[in-house]
Amino acid sequence: MMNCRRGCFRALTKRMNDVLVWIHGDDLNPQSRVLQAHPQAPRVFVFDDAVSEHYQLSLKRIAFLYECLLEIPRIEIRRGDVFAELVAAAQEHQCNRIVTTESVAPRFARLCAKLRREGRLAVETIPTEPFIELSAQENARLDLKRFSRFWNPLKARALSLNQSFDW
Amino acid sequence: MKLKTEFGDREELLTYLRATFTAAAARSSDVAELRGGRKAAEAVLQQIQPQRYAATRNHLRGTVSRLSAYLRHGVLTLAEVRRFALQRGGKQAEKFVTELAWREYWQRVYAKIGRDIWKDRESGKTGWRPADYTDGLPEDIAQAATGLRCMDSFATELRQTGYLHNHARMWLAAYVVHWRRIRWQAGARWFLTHLLDGDPASNNLSWQWVASTFSVKPYYFNRDNLEQFTDGVYCRTCQHYRNGCPFDGSYDELQARLFPRANQAYE
Ligand SMILES: Cc1cc2nc3c(=O)[nH]c(=O)nc-3n(C[C@H](O)[C@H](O)[C@H](O)COP(=O)(O)OP(=O)(O)OC[C@H]3O[C@@H](n4cnc5c(N)ncnc54)[C@H](O)[C@@H]3O)c2cc1C
Repeated sequence: MMNCRRGCFRALTKRMNDVLVWIHGDDLNPQSRVLQAHPQAPRVFVFDDAVSEHYQLSLKRIAFLYECLLEIPRIEIRRGDVFAELVAAAQEHQCNRIVTTESVAPRFARLCAKLRREGRLAVETIPTEPFIELSAQENARLDLKRFSRFWNPLKARALSLNQSFDW
Repeated sequence: MKLKTEFGDREELLTYLRATFTAAAARSSDVAELRGGRKAAEAVLQQIQPQRYAATRNHLRGTVSRLSAYLRHGVLTLAEVRRFALQRGGKQAEKFVTELAWREYWQRVYAKIGRDIWKDRESGKTGWRPADYTDGLPEDIAQAATGLRCMDSFATELRQTGYLHNHARMWLAAYVVHWRRIRWQAGARWFLTHLLDGDPASNNLSWQWVASTFSVKPYYFNRDNLEQFTDGVYCRTCQHYRNGCPFDGSYDELQARLFPRANQAYE
């Protein structure tokens, strides 16, 4: 009896630690780092009704995204409010952790915060392979005032293959 | 709500999407020829010719890559496209890699400013005040009914294909902002509705670059420039060619016409 209980409990905790991969519009690569890190995990994309409305998206944009999604094995495609759909998907798949690709969109940051705070889900973001590998110091020193100021210090490195091969 | 993921063919998928995303289909039910997905992206990548890019990219029929929608949605990463281009083109791929860097740059600016991407980064250099610009895109522009063969063709192509060549984007944006004196935000919203690569960072900041709220001077062009890089295909059949083409003139003449209050010479 005790054993069984402990066993069941263990199975449950294990399941409850499972990862849900959240696929979003900034990373529809079926070979993404996130999918490679969690090949077995359920993966969900949500068409955000608020975003479609806000940007007045036309059908061809949605069709393009959809075709990208259909190449991701076992993808679950949902639509509605992203927060609510992700929480529902996490419950269905008994996951308490969301792993997703980093995005610069301010809406993305707000959603991650809400998932942690109100959804009570752990959220981990994974960056895509950087265009050019930069140290934290170099990143901090970048001047974004004009393109030339950003690009001149990086140019030589970005145009050489060797460095990029060894990272 | 869960959506369907099994389809027999593209037609079945599109029929389903038209019935499911009714509001989007009502805005414009065109679908692009360009296919989504990694397989399609890799096929497009195989076609790129970074060696020929620098010399031809400004021409509407130049060898540009058409990778933008795949890059925008991360189907391909900038890092892998950069690597591929350098392997194929070596030193000659410099210009192409520099254009990839523009995307990286705009993304970094977006990461820093967030929602302010919709606000002027700097004050404009056109001599006009913000209040001199009209809100909202005029119907004749969106409906491709200005009577200007070039601009109407670009508007039609934008709606039908979700893609425009970079030079066409620049001309169209300049027409909207400087000739029609519309706020850049209205044009940027219009582009985001249709462009498969539509991205608040690259899009809005490029509009601001044209408008001069993120550059040292406004971008504008004249007819010679458009004719040269289009082989005159629009001008040839345009009713305005000899009759009030708004783009006809030297850069100095156009500056005087478009920006009479500017206190600097742009050239
Ligand atoms: C008004 C205006 C709006 C624009 N809106 C967008 C947009 O929403 N999304 C978008 O990706 N690009 C935008 N651009 C930039 C550019 O026009 C497109 O990236 C390019 O035309 C896409 O075609 P391509 O893939 O054949 O580009 P190529 O010339 O083959 O370039 C290769 C890649 O480099 C990047 N790139 C090239 N030029 C630029 C540029 N000027 N700025 C940023 N990235 C660049 C793109 O990712 C592109 O796919 C806009 C430009 C203007 C003037």
